[in-house]
Amino acid sequence: MTIADERTPVLELRNITLHYGSVEALHDVSIKSYAGEVIGLVGDNGAGKSSLIKVISGVNTADSGEVIVDGVRRHWRSPHDSMAAGIETLYQDSGLAPDLSIGSNIFLGREKRRSGLLGRLGFVDQRGMEREALEQLARVGITIPATQRTVSELSGGQRQAVAIGRAIAWAKHVIILDEPTNHLGARQSAEVLKVIKSAREQGLSVLFISHSLPHVLEVTDRIIVLRLGRVVRDAPTSEFTVESLLGTITGLNESPS
Amino acid sequence: MSTSVDVSGSEVTTDRRLRRVVTNQQFVLFVVLIALILFFASRNSLFFRVGEFSNLFTDFSGLVLIALAETYVIVAGGIDLAVGSTAAVSGVVAAGWIQPLVNHGVNQAVVLLVGTLACAFIGALAGGLSALLITAFDLVPFVATLVTYSVGAGLALVISHGAPVGYNPGAIYWSASGIGMITWLVAIVLVLAVVLGVVLHLTVYGRYNFAIGSNEFAARAAGIAVRRHLISVYVLAGVLAGLTGMFFYIRSGSGAATTGVTNSANLVAIAAVVIGGASLTGGVGRWAGTMLGAAVLTVVSDGLIFINVPPTWIQVVVGALIAVAALLQSFRRRSRRVT
Repeated sequence: MTIADERTPVLELRNITLHYGSVEALHDVSIKSYAGEVIGLVGDNGAGKSSLIKVISGVNTADSGEVIVDGVRRHWRSPHDSMAAGIETLYQDSGLAPDLSIGSNIFLGREKRRSGLLGRLGFVDQRGMEREALEQLARVGITIPATQRTVSELSGGQRQAVAIGRAIAWAKHVIILDEPTNHLGARQSAEVLKVIKSAREQGLSVLFISHSLPHVLEVTDRIIVLRLGRVVRDAPTSEFTVESLLGTITGLNESPS
Repeated sequence: MSTSVDVSGSEVTTDRRLRRVVTNQQFVLFVVLIALILFFASRNSLFFRVGEFSNLFTDFSGLVLIALAETYVIVAGGIDLAVGSTAAVSGVVAAGWIQPLVNHGVNQAVVLLVGTLACAFIGALAGGLSALLITAFDLVPFVATLVTYSVGAGLALVISHGAPVGYNPGAIYWSASGIGMITWLVAIVLVLAVVLGVVLHLTVYGRYNFAIGSNEFAARAAGIAVRRHLISVYVLAGVLAGLTGMFFYIRSGSGAATTGVTNSANLVAIAAVVIGGASLTGGVGRWAGTMLGAAVLTVVSDGLIFINVPPTWIQVVVGALIAVAALLQSFRRRSRRVT
């Protein structure tokens, strides 16, 4: 992915610094991510992964530094702003509304309305939503014969696939996935990884946060290692093994070969 | 596309579909309702008289608005214990406000319209108190609405001194007018009930209600204004309770502090919702279920009186109904679980 450097990154962070009171959570962090690229964001607990996500998604505002989306410098006042700019974030276990249908979940907060007067009165276009949900999920390789099913009838892996499908469906530039394979079995994780790969095929930039290093090595193109709020390594995935990655995360080997 | 994740689950077989229909709460309730009507009619043929059905509709109307209020609140993941006393305090206060109009011989339509607006206003205040305690002071809905219930019941007694407030025979007279077994009063309540059903199941507002009750965090993450929605739901419940207060004012021609309090209307309304298949953990509930639940409760209460069962037994029967409905729901949940 070295040729990627010639293009404009869809997301760029420049010299981001963030404090929680006197604690420095992020120090001078600069990263770039490109369309059609999956980046693994790894680090030990407290390394700054969550803080970095929150700066990108607009939950927190950096003390200094710049957030640049598709070449334009942006400033988020709330998560709404980042969503409007085409960045979707799937937080750990934020999940779906289990009692609502799959279609209703895909469109949650963005309900399609009926046309004309009924739409202005707030009537939802349920059929239209079920149909488009089906199309949007199929686009990322998730096949569902019946979107009218409630999410509570799905398995954990299926739910996560739908949640990621929703994020991909709405993201224009970047999707951030915080521990999407957490609490999932091997087969269910494999389903989620497939969906991530199809997000890359859609031309999205994916930020994949995970503690599962085999998953990170399997699905990412590039890995960024954070330690104590700093980027300690940013390199193509092919340069890592589980052992060298673990060493970099813990700081036991500074220069893996 | 080569990558494909199958979320279809197992096939829906005919057997399973049949089981779904049979365990469908609304279907079961409908059968129970018809069976109950036939049972009471077989014990006393006078049950099929127009007059008795008219009574059933009227009693149903006194319950259905607060039952639907409770449906909105419960689906949103809350509970509202205040609806009964809100009806009482609304009726008592509004009765006092409109009595001068009655005494001056103002047109009855104007009197009742002013009374209705007054009741809705007082109900909104009561609902607003619950909403404030829940959203600003972080009280759980059970405690917050218990506060509102107590304040409302107490104020109704203080204001009325325990006696009926006002006297408006014109209202009683109007409450009996209508077509056949449907009075105008009942017709207005039923139209409002249908509107509430449409809003709950077909609009964005109703969708948010289900989403918040199902997973508040997911709703917030999806950009839904959860706080604002919850405030509106408790205010709506208060308004519907206030309108129920006006309903009883019109039927008796006066406001009474006992309305909706002595008969534990709040608990009967919650019973109707639970019998209708809603989940007290939120996110699950249907308009048709609550309508049928309220209808079953009305037919049982009136029918038992009609066949000379002592009224004291009615609550025992209602308790049994709630138990059966809850068991049916847990059975359905287990049979539905797919892996």
